[in-house]
Amino acid sequence: MATVSAANETELVTRAQSGERNAFSELVRIHAQGVFNVIYRMCGDRQTAEDATQETFIQAWMHLLSYRPRTPLRNWLYRIAVNTATDMLRKQKHILPTAVEDFYLTDPRPGPEALFSQREQAALIQKAILSLPDASRAVLVLREYEGLSYHEIADALDIPVGTVMSRLNYARSLLRNRLEGQLLLQVEAENV
Amino acid sequence: MSKHVTEWLNAYLDGELRGIRLHDVEAHLAECQACQEELQSVQGLSALLQKVPVPEFTSPERFAAQVNLRLPHGPPAATKSKALEMGWWMIPVGLVAVWIFISTAIMVSDMVSTANEIGLFGRSSAWLGTGSSSETYWAATLGQFGILSGNSLQWAEVTEAFTRNTVPQITWQVSIALLYLSWIAIWWARHTRQGHGQLLES
Repeated sequence: MATVSAANETELVTRAQSGERNAFSELVRIHAQGVFNVIYRMCGDRQTAEDATQETFIQAWMHLLSYRPRTPLRNWLYRIAVNTATDMLRKQKHILPTAVEDFYLTDPRPGPEALFSQREQAALIQKAILSLPDASRAVLVLREYEGLSYHEIADALDIPVGTVMSRLNYARSLLRNRLEGQLLLQVEAENV
Repeated sequence: MSKHVTEWLNAYLDGELRGIRLHDVEAHLAECQACQEELQSVQGLSALLQKVPVPEFTSPERFAAQVNLRLPHGPPAATKSKALEMGWWMIPVGLVAVWIFISTAIMVSDMVSTANEIGLFGRSSAWLGTGSSSETYWAATLGQFGILSGNSLQWAEVTEAFTRNTVPQITWQVSIALLYLSWIAIWWARHTRQGHGQLLES
């Protein structure tokens, strides 16, 4: 992700709010990758993620005057991204149910003889993430992949910090159950 | 040994604990094998999750150009949310205005009734009607049929007058007060949301 100082970003936002498209395009360039990553982790489908990323920035442009610089722009965009991804998943129901179904059809606890290739392992983990409830998945993605603090997640999703913590505990607990076999392999690999 | 700290291990691992809570968790971990294993498992999960790659994304320049093509013409418009925000702040003002309006209307009405009773309006007050008799309409009707008499008739008249005049006044005043308190409660909840973070520190 491209970096920009807070002062520069505030200036770009002010210019974009007054209708300057070039300033908004600069903001898109800065945050596109981060927004795409969040949405991809939320839905697990590249095409859907690209469409939702475009939609996120269009929504951001349309509501730019309601943005207040007291919140980092990234957090505000992530909130729109999570909402857009959730809406898209609701409309394109075939994406998640298939992924979740596949997850349950796949044995998450391979025996010692069944060693997973990296690609298969990644697919299995991705499916386990997709099997989480939307609200918990959003918190997990923002914490594990975007590295946001609990306060930043609370700010981005407009929920209390206590809720962030409980959703994260829930998501990790579910994942540990569903990926128990993979976790054992992980621990074994670390101990070798 | 102190109580297990399982519920705080995620926050501990994420570097979100401060103060006494952090000290308690660290002290417990130093002596509890079960919690150490639990922590290791959570750490293992975080490492496992990093094994999922993200597919390559279109170059940011190209993507920005694509978005630019799809943007609606003209500057971003003032959105509904701004109007809603304005409406939100107007709620208490509106409630106070309604309260003042109704109170004034009742006060003026009472003054007119009193002036009428002491004959200030003379004959020109015919248009005011006979408020007192309508207020005790049911009690008077029941009295005529001999169902009520003496003290019970007086009580019925007082009760009916109370029901007609005082109950509606109490009802609307309580309703406005409840709406105002609800608004304050919602405002308070929204502004103290961030305060929940303190639970990580104590």
